[in-house]
Amino acid sequence: MPLISILLLTMPLGVALIWWLPRRVPAAFVAAVTCISAFVVAILILSSFDAEMAGFQLIEEAAWLPGLNINYLVGVDGISVLFLPVTALLSLGAVVMSYRNITRFPRIYYSLLLVECGATLGVFCALDTVMFFLFWEISIIPIYFLVSLWGNGERRRLVAKKYMLIMIAGGLPILFGFLLLAQYVSSLGLSSLASPFDLRVLLATPLPESLQLSVFLLLLVGFGVKAPILPLHTWFPLVAADGPAAITALLAGLKLGVYGLIRFALPLAPDVAVDFQWLLLGLGSVAVVYGSLIALVQGNLRTTLAYLGISHVGLVLLGLATFQTAGVQGAVLELVNFPLVAGGLFLITAALRQRVGTTALLSLGGAAKTLPWLATSFLLLGLASLGIPGTSGFPAEFLILLTTLETHTGSGIAALFGVVVGAACLLSVYRRSFFGPIHNPAFHEVDDLRPRERAIALLFVVIVLVVGIYPAVVLDVISTTAALWSQRMGG
Amino acid sequence: MPFELIALAPLLPLLATALVAAWHIFGAPGGDAAEARTVRLLSYAMLGSLAVLLAMDARALLYGAPGEIVLGTWFAAGGIQIPVSFMIDALSLPFATLIAVIGYIALKFSANYLHRERGFHRFFIINGLFLTGMLMLVLSGNIVLSFVGWEIVGVSSYLLIGYAFERTVATGSAVRAFVTNRIGDAGFILAIALTLHYFDSFAWSGLGAAAISTGTVSVSLVALGFVVAALAKSAQVPFTPWITRALEGPTPSSAIFYGSLMVHAGVYLILRLEPVLVQAPLLLVLIAVAGLVTALYGWFGGLVQSDVKSALLFGTLTQIGIMFVTIGFGAFDVAAWHMCLHATFRAWQFLSAPSYMHAVKGASVEVPPWLGRSQRWYTAILERFWLERFGDALLTLPMQDLGRDMRLFDERIVSRMLGAPGDSEFSPHRQNRLVRGRGVAGALLEWCAANLYRLEQHLLMGTEGGPTRRTLRALSEYLAVLESMLEQPRYLILLILIIFIAGM
Repeated sequence: MPLISILLLTMPLGVALIWWLPRRVPAAFVAAVTCISAFVVAILILSSFDAEMAGFQLIEEAAWLPGLNINYLVGVDGISVLFLPVTALLSLGAVVMSYRNITRFPRIYYSLLLVECGATLGVFCALDTVMFFLFWEISIIPIYFLVSLWGNGERRRLVAKKYMLIMIAGGLPILFGFLLLAQYVSSLGLSSLASPFDLRVLLATPLPESLQLSVFLLLLVGFGVKAPILPLHTWFPLVAADGPAAITALLAGLKLGVYGLIRFALPLAPDVAVDFQWLLLGLGSVAVVYGSLIALVQGNLRTTLAYLGISHVGLVLLGLATFQTAGVQGAVLELVNFPLVAGGLFLITAALRQRVGTTALLSLGGAAKTLPWLATSFLLLGLASLGIPGTSGFPAEFLILLTTLETHTGSGIAALFGVVVGAACLLSVYRRSFFGPIHNPAFHEVDDLRPRERAIALLFVVIVLVVGIYPAVVLDVISTTAALWSQRMGG
Repeated sequence: MPFELIALAPLLPLLATALVAAWHIFGAPGGDAAEARTVRLLSYAMLGSLAVLLAMDARALLYGAPGEIVLGTWFAAGGIQIPVSFMIDALSLPFATLIAVIGYIALKFSANYLHRERGFHRFFIINGLFLTGMLMLVLSGNIVLSFVGWEIVGVSSYLLIGYAFERTVATGSAVRAFVTNRIGDAGFILAIALTLHYFDSFAWSGLGAAAISTGTVSVSLVALGFVVAALAKSAQVPFTPWITRALEGPTPSSAIFYGSLMVHAGVYLILRLEPVLVQAPLLLVLIAVAGLVTALYGWFGGLVQSDVKSALLFGTLTQIGIMFVTIGFGAFDVAAWHMCLHATFRAWQFLSAPSYMHAVKGASVEVPPWLGRSQRWYTAILERFWLERFGDALLTLPMQDLGRDMRLFDERIVSRMLGAPGDSEFSPHRQNRLVRGRGVAGALLEWCAANLYRLEQHLLMGTEGGPTRRTLRALSEYLAVLESMLEQPRYLILLILIIFIAGM
């Protein structure tokens, strides 16, 4: 059964249903059902995935533009397969948390949301560079409209415009890099069957060092913008502050940029990547420290979380830059954590914002008293983001820290410093927003998470705890592919 | 009873805790019945662990302790493999048994002490978590599982200090305690990484042999991380201030956390490290000095306390300082005895303190006369030697300043380079142009655009009939003629015919 194509079709189908069904069927309901079915399909994909086998699996191929040798080519490997269910889950969370928030044009809102999630799923599955780029660009557009139309804060239009411009600017180097690759491969005069856009062909073709250099730098910049890697990160806190609360969860949780680095930038230019290891390590360590320090002085819960997210991206970068199997496994696990932990934290913040109308730290405080569910789930996910044992954050951060310390002690110590500051930051922010006496009278009348929001929060927390207690279940899926990956990088 | 069943000791309280939490989540009715059920579940679990441990004790006494027991693999990644293993020896068994006994007593005590409190179930859930962590830390056969226990203990301590979360002071103390411990944890992680690097194994049992065959410097480096972690957890100088603020939690939790169990975790870790530490004499000196300073600090501090719990806490600090001094002199066995005895009587003291206060009413111990005479000393001791302020001045404040500087850098430089929409965007007098470039790329683009525009204006188009303009005008006249010709049908048909012929 072409499971991946079915998965990619669910979201467009959901959009069609939203518009086709009579108006009295709420769009949110249709969107939620769509996300649940996508989740089920993703689980099916995961269960038919063979973790022992390296390389791409469940490949589906069809000619798309035969003249240009561009194909419809999708498949998964140990790195990408785990992102499918968590993406579907996060989308479900975003739909549920939007339910009360969105009163204007719900059909358009949920359609855009589903398009965004569908494009994200496509990015994770595409193995043809042109297809990947297409999904990549599609994933930019809905965010622009979602932020500029449903955002909060006066600057939302400007922020959306900035997001759009930066993302398009980031897309160009990626396109250019892919075209360089395609041009080189087709100039080799391989058999006409091998498409110059096929990732498998590209991986199998050894590239000259000079081409690797240009491809690596182009892709690093292009993907770095979206990751976000310092110093290309400034759009992220802005969108986090002004975007619609549930959508910021998608942006915080789905780290497409880092995925692009793992999938394309590093393995396509392995020799140059090894030469530039200092750059990757440096970017990673600076991001870990810089992000957590800036997070310390933010006045808003959402920007704090955004900067902590930047700090965690730095951690992932460090794990990748070790080129060790364990480090890569930790990095991928951390990336799989992002939708659940960072995304989950943003979703809960969305729920908080919907109740009291603000996420400014000064007007929060005492939320634990009237909102125990909200406060508890925030705390548990927060602990997961600190990498406390028993949560899924622990194996991820532990593996990253351990391999970094072992191979590059300096970067590792910087990361440890960042982790301590991050803990201080998250806990003091938590204290200021959830503990203490209630200042804001709005808190007296609010009600706690509603049953369906509770179900989402509980689901996220339970997955985080289960993976934390028995991480082998996830690490084993990643391990073969990660070993192959690090072998390719000469680690 | 096979020794493998030792896994039950930390597992039973964990299961009970999970069950209580699940009950609570799925909305079991509250009230006295629920309280009784929670207490029953947790204390039975604790009794179960105690029974398992006693059976192990008996078997170890009769047949000797087996040492390390490996049950399986927790997770593996690349070359890193983390086993599920337990260490059953003369150090872990007695302390674990003691933990189970004190834990059980404290649970029973809390059932009455916290009766009908708002956070009754929360308290018991966290307490169960703490006991799990403590047993895991003590019984674990490898460094990583010990670290897991270590962290769980730290988190539950954070949660219990902040038990009364409406009180600003309590939550502030909780954050301070956690962050201080987190510094120690960073040392622990560093030590784990160095252990992996130098010794290539996580097992406690292998450390001694590995340490002998490794150079003193590397061994000292490995041990340093552990020692920092231990000093932080056991609140030795310079990490002391968090513990003097940690009494915000309910009394039973203070008793088992800071009186008897958690505060000894650092001592236990150091005792575990005995085979490594004897290879690193310099660190023994460090331990002894830290212990001595803490013992003095605790003794002086204790002189001026007017509150029984604080006085007991300073007493604890002194005793633990003495344990560290003993270890520093190499008397590990003595320290182990001291640790267990002290844990026992301090738990009793802490638990009976509230009743004692009820009985005595008021009148605290007088300050010794020599201290009363010297105002300088008195102030210094009362202020706890300004240790906390030093810490803040050295660490917390610079960190916040650094954060502010970074934010400024981020806003003023990085954002501008990339072109963030700043506040100036809203000021109307800067909107005179349709599009404004922002950031380096934007400015560059604007500059290029302006110059190109000038080029186009002055060179190409000219203002009044430049060369291009003239050519264009002439061309357009020709085109107009051509167009008018094309409008006549015969020329159009002619054109189509020409195209057809050319195409064939």
